[in-house]
Amino acid sequence: METSLPAKFAWRLLIGLLYVFLLAPIIIVFVVSFDTRQYLAFPPESLSFGSYVKVFQNADFISAFWRSLLIGAIVGLGAVTVGTLISLALTRYRFRGEGAVNFLVIAPFIVPNIVLGVGLVLVLAGFGLLDTYPGIVLAHLGITIPYTVRTVSMSLMSVDRRVEEAALVHGASPFNVFWRITLPLIRPGIIAGGVIAFLISFDETTISLFIVSVRSSTLPTEIYRYLEYSTDPQIAALSVVLILISVAVVIVLERLIGLRKAV
Amino acid sequence: MTTSDRKGNRGILLLLLLPGLLALGVSFVAPLLWLLRASFSTSALGGADGSWTLANYADVVLDPFYWRVAGNTLNYGLTVAAFAVVLSYPIALFLARTTSRWRGVLTALAIAPLLTSGVVRTYGWMVILGDQGVINGTLQALSLIQTPIRLSNNFLGATIAMIEILMPYAILAMLSGFGRLNTQLEEAAAMLGANRLKVFWRIILPLSLPGVITAALLVFVLAISGFVTPRLMGGGRVFVLGTEVFQEATVTLNLPLAAALAMLLLVLFSSVIVIYRRALRALEA
Amino acid sequence: MADKHVIVEQLVKTYPGSGAPSVDHVDFDLEKGEMLALLGPSGCGKTTILRMVAGLITPTSGRIRLDGRDMAEIPVHKRNMGMVFQSYALFPHMSVAENVAFGLEMRGVPKAERAARVERALDLVKLRGYGERRITQLSGGQQQRCAIARSLVIEPQLLLLDEPLSNLDAKLRDEMREEIRDIQARTGVTAIFVTHDQDEALSMADRLAVMSAGRIEQIGTPRQIFDRPATEFVANFIGAGNFLTGTVVEPHQANVPGLGMVVFGLDAPLGKDVRLLVRPHRFTLNGKGENAFEGVVRHLVYRGDTLTLDVDVKDRTFLVDLPTHAGTLPERGDRVTLTVARDDVTVIGTAA
Repeated sequence: METSLPAKFAWRLLIGLLYVFLLAPIIIVFVVSFDTRQYLAFPPESLSFGSYVKVFQNADFISAFWRSLLIGAIVGLGAVTVGTLISLALTRYRFRGEGAVNFLVIAPFIVPNIVLGVGLVLVLAGFGLLDTYPGIVLAHLGITIPYTVRTVSMSLMSVDRRVEEAALVHGASPFNVFWRITLPLIRPGIIAGGVIAFLISFDETTISLFIVSVRSSTLPTEIYRYLEYSTDPQIAALSVVLILISVAVVIVLERLIGLRKAV
Repeated sequence: MTTSDRKGNRGILLLLLLPGLLALGVSFVAPLLWLLRASFSTSALGGADGSWTLANYADVVLDPFYWRVAGNTLNYGLTVAAFAVVLSYPIALFLARTTSRWRGVLTALAIAPLLTSGVVRTYGWMVILGDQGVINGTLQALSLIQTPIRLSNNFLGATIAMIEILMPYAILAMLSGFGRLNTQLEEAAAMLGANRLKVFWRIILPLSLPGVITAALLVFVLAISGFVTPRLMGGGRVFVLGTEVFQEATVTLNLPLAAALAMLLLVLFSSVIVIYRRALRALEA
Repeated sequence: MADKHVIVEQLVKTYPGSGAPSVDHVDFDLEKGEMLALLGPSGCGKTTILRMVAGLITPTSGRIRLDGRDMAEIPVHKRNMGMVFQSYALFPHMSVAENVAFGLEMRGVPKAERAARVERALDLVKLRGYGERRITQLSGGQQQRCAIARSLVIEPQLLLLDEPLSNLDAKLRDEMREEIRDIQARTGVTAIFVTHDQDEALSMADRLAVMSAGRIEQIGTPRQIFDRPATEFVANFIGAGNFLTGTVVEPHQANVPGLGMVVFGLDAPLGKDVRLLVRPHRFTLNGKGENAFEGVVRHLVYRGDTLTLDVDVKDRTFLVDLPTHAGTLPERGDRVTLTVARDDVTVIGTAA
């Protein structure tokens, strides 16, 4: 339908302003990260990479970064492995208690992280796992498995069952059907699930704040604790680094398999 | 592999399900059970003792402070949900209908903030709304104001930041709910004599309503369970259930009380989801 | 009977929760090298039979024997059958050659022999030189050929085809009919194919089994099915027809109320009611014959090589197909005499 020019302009202006609002904090963080001053103020007086240099010299940030990366990688791998197994059971078999399992894998979606956080403190304390790698990995598995089950299940459901049947009829054992046909076909879903799980773990703040202190603190928890008493541009630089890592992961994913196909 | 019920499948099935059930058991089911149990016990060093008591719930119910907190939480959730939905709707509608070749890029931009930690974006808002922040700094530089306007360390700041942080979720939910919208329907309506306003009211709005409701629910539940943003942006002056749960669990170290508050939050959460399902069913009927 | 290549006995499939069986005591057999069509409307159970033969579904009861071996305990992947799926079900992540080689690979055929056999199979389906293509780069017809090559390369004891032509457009469909028939004749493979298209079944199969509601209504050669339908369902499903009910008053003669005496060629017991069938194209116009009916042309449709008429004869209407080259054609409102020879009047249920 044709629209009058002024109406079209007003509509576009509105959309533009909303985008500005939506992206404002990220843009501002980006700008501030180059400010030379030691305290937060706007607009920047002069620009430099000083804050970045400081971030890379901050031992706490660096070690938290490596911890986050390691935890994220373990969580990504673990969640996608476990999630693929569950998805296979849910989409390829009928069994008693199927409904219960189905509910269990979506239930974490509808329980707030903060509620889980309190419960995890109690459980992990019981096992002596508070502020440990296994503890935080376990905690993150709980909130990421639902995502990996979702992406892998969707992949599995989009696989034409006739293709699997064709392999079976033409002589492939059930294991070979899985290994040669099903697995290659759901690879995009598996990669996407793993990457999503990694990103969630890498960014997770709420639950982590409950169960980590010094030994296993992740980057988001370090930032939170830093922000509680200071808002200097170092955090902006660190934030930019974090954003760039997330964006890089997504771009690699997109290049690798095409994001639209995967999610 | 085909769907079947032969005996040999039992072993395979167990193998497929066991790791997941174990992981979810420890990281999801157990925490909720422990939480429920702890909410009925007395605080002890590092957790809860084995006693049974209703004292925590009594504390919560009898203390007018927690009534205010519950009210704040509801107010916070509703305000954030209302604004996030209203501000996200035009973007989602635009993305659903545009045929521009920038559509992919614009969609990515609209949901890209999801890739950025909430802590980072909260920090961005501290920079924008702070006393020496972008807005106050600009207004002072232009000599429009002498002293900074209070935009952060209060309910207003916590609300603004949370609206923006949750908007990508709203946009995503709306986009996936807008599948039924198509320009041919609008053209058909126009051919039948509806003007633009009527097309919107009679065609676009009703068809997009399920997506809007889903978005509102999602934003609401995420808002009432957040604590990072209200705590950082509220500067210790915003009291919602999230901040109180965190406070009791990690600062005061009264885990049974935290558990009781968390249970309260869970109940609030579930009742909203039940209402949502009713609403959606009513809408579809 | 025991030396038949394929024997299906009393095959039944009942899905839990549904009352009537989807496949209801079905029997049929195939000679080596024979092609049988399972023909019927959707939901008649024909695909279920095919999938039971393949082993993709477990029968509720009954037996399937291939070359004398009971298939009951043999899992799908060890049955040595080939199958062409309706959607072709090609492996989307493999090249054409990889698709075709798959079955050989699963059978542990050495690489060199595999390549040679794949090459031959691609030749057979006229896909020489397409081996390296991706599946997505093939047209519908080419995908079809690839699927056929994949199922033939393993030299199956039985080839199953599930609606193999339904995803092709009309022109390609005719072409592939010929070609499948040709490939089957050349390889001598025994084949069962499922279709809902009567033309396809008539033109491709050595014999066809017409199915309805889980049962086989009639099994026979195309000619037997068309000319001597065992039931009214068969007569209706294959081709159009004019149906008459009469009482046999004399040998080869029935009295049809409201029409008069109709003579027919087959034997029928005296005094019994019979259903008679006259195919529309068996009528001749204004000729001479034992059965002559006078009527008025009420409606006509010109179809190129045939002219289809609705002719009102007394209180009934006959459907008539005339070849358009047969001299002067009638107009609407014309009075005409329809004649039909006694051998062209079929008694339903007297299968030859």
